[in-house]
Formats: sequence, C-alpha cells, structure tokens
Amino acid sequence: MKNTLTLFAATLALAACNPASQTSDSASAESEGRVVNVYSARHYSSDAVVYAAFTEATGIEINLIEARGDQLIERIRADGERSPADVIVTVDAARLHRAEEAGLFAQSDYSEFADRLPDHLIHPQGYWVGVAQRSRVIAYSNERVQDGEITTYADLADERWNGRICVRSSGSVYNQSLLASIVAHEGEEAAEAWAQAIVNNMARAPQGGDRDQLRAIAAGECDVAITNHYYFAMMANSNEPADQAVVEQTTLFFPNQDTTGAHMNVSGAGIALNAPHPDEAREFIAFLVSDEAQRIFAEMTNEVPAVPTAQWDNATLSAMMPFTQDDLEIAELGANNAIAQRIFDRVGWQ
Amino acid sequence: MNIIAVLAAFICGLPILAVAAIALGGGSTDYLRHLAETRLPTYLFHSAYVGLVASLTAAVIGTGLAWLTARCEFPGRKFFTWALILPLAVPAYVAAYAWLDISQAGGPLDRMSWGLFPTIRGTWGSGLMFALVLYPYVYLLARNAFTGQSADAYDAARTLGASAFGAFWRTSLPMARPAIAAGMALVIMEALADYGTVAHLGSPTLSIGLIRAWSGAGSLLDAARLSLILVVFALVIFGLERHGRRRMQVQTSSGKQRPARRFQLSPLQAGLASLAAFMALFLSMILPLGRLAWRALREPVANGLAQASFNSLTVAGSAAVIATLVGLTTAYALRRKSVLGTAAARLAGVGYAVPGAVAAVGVIALLSGIQRWLDPTWESLTGSVFPILLTGTAAALVLAYLSRFVAAAISPCETALARVTRSLNGAAKTLGANTRRRLLAVHLPLIAPGVASALILSFVEILKELPATMILRPFNFNTLAIIAHQYASDERLGEAAAPALLIPLIATLPMIFVARYLSSSGENGARP
Repeated sequence: MKNTLTLFAATLALAACNPASQTSDSASAESEGRVVNVYSARHYSSDAVVYAAFTEATGIEINLIEARGDQLIERIRADGERSPADVIVTVDAARLHRAEEAGLFAQSDYSEFADRLPDHLIHPQGYWVGVAQRSRVIAYSNERVQDGEITTYADLADERWNGRICVRSSGSVYNQSLLASIVAHEGEEAAEAWAQAIVNNMARAPQGGDRDQLRAIAAGECDVAITNHYYFAMMANSNEPADQAVVEQTTLFFPNQDTTGAHMNVSGAGIALNAPHPDEAREFIAFLVSDEAQRIFAEMTNEVPAVPTAQWDNATLSAMMPFTQDDLEIAELGANNAIAQRIFDRVGWQ
Repeated sequence: MNIIAVLAAFICGLPILAVAAIALGGGSTDYLRHLAETRLPTYLFHSAYVGLVASLTAAVIGTGLAWLTARCEFPGRKFFTWALILPLAVPAYVAAYAWLDISQAGGPLDRMSWGLFPTIRGTWGSGLMFALVLYPYVYLLARNAFTGQSADAYDAARTLGASAFGAFWRTSLPMARPAIAAGMALVIMEALADYGTVAHLGSPTLSIGLIRAWSGAGSLLDAARLSLILVVFALVIFGLERHGRRRMQVQTSSGKQRPARRFQLSPLQAGLASLAAFMALFLSMILPLGRLAWRALREPVANGLAQASFNSLTVAGSAAVIATLVGLTTAYALRRKSVLGTAAARLAGVGYAVPGAVAAVGVIALLSGIQRWLDPTWESLTGSVFPILLTGTAAALVLAYLSRFVAAAISPCETALARVTRSLNGAAKTLGANTRRRLLAVHLPLIAPGVASALILSFVEILKELPATMILRPFNFNTLAIIAHQYASDERLGEAAAPALLIPLIATLPMIFVARYLSSSGENGARP
C-alpha cells in the first residue's frame, strides 16, 4: 500500500504542476513585459483575431479565461480582492448589469469615447462600455407570408400566427432579453400577455438553436421564427448548399422600425475592481472599440458594431444596415431579466 | 488505511457540502415558491422520465452486448469487446446536436424517410441520447460480472431443459443484477446532472430549472437549493442499489471454480450478434460523428487542437488515476461497513448527480474560503502573500473532477470487491497468508478488471467534462471538450467536429491498452 500512496502523491504533484507551468509562463511574461488578464463570456473566432491584433499593436500579452457569464461573475466575486481579473467581457446586458450589481467593475472615465459610441453604450458612472451588438429579429417564409404582413414583435401575438411560430427555449438569454425589453416598454402585464400569446401560437415545443428555427421555416414546419440577426447572416455567408437554400426561402426583417426600434443586446467590457493591471485593462478596452476591432467583429461575427462610424466589408451585414435600433438603457434591460424569467415560467414557455 | 480512505472520500464530497452550505445559509427568497407554483412539478416529472428512459434503454443495450461478448463467439467479437466501450467518449450533447441536425424536419433522415423518421427531441429523445452514449457503464460492469460467473448454475439450468435464453434469464442475469444496477445508477445520475443535451433537445428537467434560476433569475442561492433535490435523488438511488446488492450477496457464487465457456452461435445468430454490436457503434458514434465530420469538410479546422489534446490527455489521465485510487480505497472502506466510511463514500458519490456548473460553484466557494482563511495566517507567519489557489494551480480542477466523478470509480471497484467473498478471504487467512499476500495473490487478480473499468470510466468522464473545466481552468488552458462546445453552442457544428472527433480518439489510446489487458484476463479465465 506504501507504493500506492507514493503513486498517489506523485500523481497529485503531476496534476498540480502541469497547468501550473502555464501560469509560470505568464508570470515570466509579466517580468519581461506587460500583460492583461481577460475574463470573457465571448468565445468567437473573431475574438482570437482581435486579441492577436491587440498584442501586435501594444506588445501587451493577453491571459484569457472564457466561460459563461454567470460563472465568470461567481469566480471573480469569490476571489474577491485577490482576483487576477483585469477586464470582464460579457455577451449580454443582464450579465453586464449583474456584474455591476455585484460590484465587480471599477469606475473609469470613458468620456473620450463619447463621440464614437452612442450614449446608452457608455455606462453613466463609467463601469463599462458596449463593444458589439446583436439584434433579435423575425424571419418569415417567402412562400407562405406576404411582405409587410408582419412588422412588429407585437404582431406575433396575433391569432393569425396560431401554430405557425418557431422559437427556441426561454433558457436562451436572447429570449430573456427580448422579453425584458418588452417589460420595459409596455409593462409586465402586457409582456406576459404577449409571451402567453406566443406560447399559444407556437408550431412546436421549443427545441434546438436559432439556426434550427430558420431551418424549420424552410422545411415547412413553421412560417415565422424569432432569431438573432447574425445567425441568419452566418447562414447567408456559409458555403453549405443547405444553408443557402434556407436563406433563399426566408426573409429577415428588423421589427418595430416605426416604434421602439429592433431589440438590441449588448456585449460589453469593463475594468475589474481589483485589476492588478488597470492601465493595460484600459488600453485593452480602448482597443475593443477601435476601428480595427469593430471591423473584425462586423466581418467575422456579423455583429452590429458599437461604433456607428466604423468601416467594414461584409455584404450580408451591409444589406441589413442601417435600421432603427432600440436604445433602451442597459440597466433597465438587465434589471428586467429576472421579471422576464418569471413570466416565461408562468406562461409555460419551455 | 481506513482513515485515509474516509478522509479522501470526504475531501471529494466537500464541494457538495459547500453547495449545501450556500443553499442553507442564505436568506429566504420567494423564487422557490414561484417555481413550486409554476414549473417545479414539470421539472421533477421530466427528470424522472429522462432517468427512466435512459437507464432502462441503457440496461437493455448494455446487458445484451455484455452477454454476447462475454459468453458467445461471433465474428468481430474481440474487436467489439473493447470498441463497445468507446461511445462513452462521445459527449451526450454532441450526440444530441448531431442527431437533431440529422432527424429534424428538412434533415437528411427526415427527407430519406419521407418524413416518417421521428425528430429526436424532447425528453424521450434526450433519454435515448443518454442511453446511446452511456450504455457502456452497464456493458462494462455487466461484462465483468458475466466473465466472472461460474458456469455451474447456467449449465444446470440447461441440463434441466431450459432454453439458452431461459437459462440466461433465470441464472446468469440474476447473478449479474448488482452490476447492472450499479451501471444503471450511474446512467441515471449522469442523465440528471446533464444540462447541454436536455437544453438543446427541449426537455425541461430539474437541471434546466436550476441553471435558469441562476442565469435567468440571477439567484445562485436558489440554484443551490434546487441542486439539493438532485442530491436527494442520488441518495435514494444509492439506497435502492445498496438494498438490491445486499439481497444479492447470499446468492453470488464465489471465485472462478469453473468459468463459463463461450458458445459457438449458428451462422445466422452470429451474423445477428455482429450486426447488433455494429448497430450500437453506428448509432452512438459513426452516424452522429460522421455527420459532424461531413459538415466539417466545408469549414476551416479550429486552432490549438494539438495543445488542447495534450491538456485533455494529461488532466484527465492524472485525475483519473487519483479518482481510481480514491475509488478503490473507498470501496475497501465500504466493505468494512463502518458508519463513517459509508457516509464518506455516499457523500463523495452524490456529486455525480449534480450539474458540473453547480459542483464548480462548490469548489470556488470552498477554495476561496480556504484562501481567505489562509491569507492572513500565512502573511503573519511569512510576511509574504499566499499564492492564489484558484487561478494558480490545477488543484481546483482536480477537486471538481473528483467531486463529480469519483462515483464512477467507486461503483466498479465496489462491484469488483464483491467478487472477493468473505469465504475466499477466510480461506486465504486459514492458509496463513498475511494481509499483503492476500491483497496481491487473492484480491488483485479478482478485482483488476473492475479497477481497470474504474480507470477507464473516470478517464473518459473527465475527458468530456465541460462546465467545471470551463470556469475553473487556469489562464489560456483549453481542452477538446471546451473547444467542441464553444463551436457547438454557437451553432457551428462543422467547426465543432474536429475536437468532438478527437475526444473518442484520445479515449481509445488508454482504452485499447486496458481492454487488451481485460480481454486477456477474460480469455484466460474462459479457458476450460
């Protein structure tokens, strides 16, 4: 049994050393040059390109952890003063709001971006800035739906769509965020009535992701679907014939163009309260809203750039732009998220 | 020895205790009442439903294939003996993404069958996915039981005029029941803990409910409280399994006096047996992974796969060895029937039914608590700051893996140890063998296959683990499961294909080694 114990100890040591060696790499990088520790809820190929460009431009190395927003918040919160996090990046408004509520962000003066970013994408107290946006939109079948037959989110509640709507589960943060915006604009009661009507009009119980809803339109299972604009764009830019066929049979439009504007969810970034490298963090955030990073987001992820004046080359996205965007306060969107969740539970939106 | 085992098991259970502390520590919220009034009954129903579909289907597939490879001779048997374990390396959510893609309206299966093939979705669809990739639990444990069985009872039944199936049903199967039940218990718990599969296929289980409480309503407290229900589920399943095992103990024959020979099947039967084994591999691996690979042909290959493969291999390898050692010592502690040992083992085991994201929260709370306690002490003693526990080392990861998966190591070891009966142990003692010699000459040969199973099971589990790895990993540390998930969750199935294919590929390496060893010991045992 002694041998077993030795082996046990050796394995423990091995397990403890292996990833630790990577940390010591970063520690040596610290002594040689500058680093920034990024905790990001994003996980796109575009980000790797942006990070590489940042290191190229500034010489600052990036240490990265990518995980779901709630988990990142919990880890940073638990680490407290000892947290090595410099920058916190989230993919939606509710997480941004929650991180702010948990007191994870440091205040910073972002007024230098005031002429680049719309007002609502800079936090009033300087906790974060928006870096990219995705819109929740509606797509319909070219065959079975007339152009102009549907123009708003509210239209989806109409009886004529009974058994014709496809949408994913309410566990999706994008659905939560959309309903949170409706709560903000029309109140909780109206929002619940809307959600109930959508459940009644569903063609099938929620399943799959946003792309699967678009595929279901092409397959004739439903006539309209709620999706994020960039999934449609991704399919339009795909080489796959099946994706192309779906795009040809469906039309995407931005709802509420004459009223509130299309719902926008925000990916934002802020400096962590106990950031060991606040200057590098600041440079990193400045880079995220630079023309270069904004171009990469628009071209590789089909996101709507946070900086309206940024230039990019992406025909699919250009064809969608410009459109009227809902510029609801992110704080309101974030605060309504929990209310939206309860509405979903009450109306039985799976 | 016993103390070490109890301590090790207790440490594995600490993260779940930390979750319980979070759940019981906070103030009252009205969210649980809201849930009880709205979705809670649905969540509970679907959790039970998915566990039932998954475990029963896995039991049929796993037991059938175990019997075929252990006791029958058919073309390809040697290959299938180890290859049938491989589906375990396919993450259930990967199978789910691929199967929904193939079978949904407009998908290839839907078109080829003129819409007759049902869409793999909902709770039964999720249960089916779990059964396809988790049946190896039942298969491995049942196969060990079948190869270890004496042929006496079966032969007696045949002599008394029972058909081959009748003899199997009335003698071999009952004797293998503890092993099958242990495998089913693992399947149920993994199905209960899963999030990715049920979320994608639209099955509202309790783990969906608790992740929603956390992510939608922003209440980690309520998520922790809901996870306690899963812990209770797990304890009930353990209890049922123990109860069944105790009843079986009397009937289990000891040793390997006259091991069973394998039957030569008729050509038709042999063909069907090969087909059945092939179909299991086809439905769980070849078809779904093939679909992903087909989509991958049109996509660029993801970056960093070599480094991620290395990371996956080393982390899973070292953590699996630790888990197996803990599993084995815990199994010995359980054998002694001490109250403390049993309690520690059960505590260590329940983590298996808790979603990885929640177990990770337990690890975070635990380590940050220790850190806060250590920091001032260390500083007053040494004047320097204590190195940060969470981000600095893989200790957090290893602890999370142990708390989640040590059950997958305890169960096979426990089942294996049941083969070392008291009479056998007593005989060795009477013959003057000391403890060391008893362990090496009597215990080791008998439990080796079970220990090997424990090693494989925990290795593969850790290899595909996702939520805890994501949040607890050190900087710049990717595994194959993480890369596969990041693409799949972004609905980029093509790019998810390469890492998703590499997971079973990497799992094959140790599996071939262990399977060779297993089948060679099996062959020897089978020699008349």
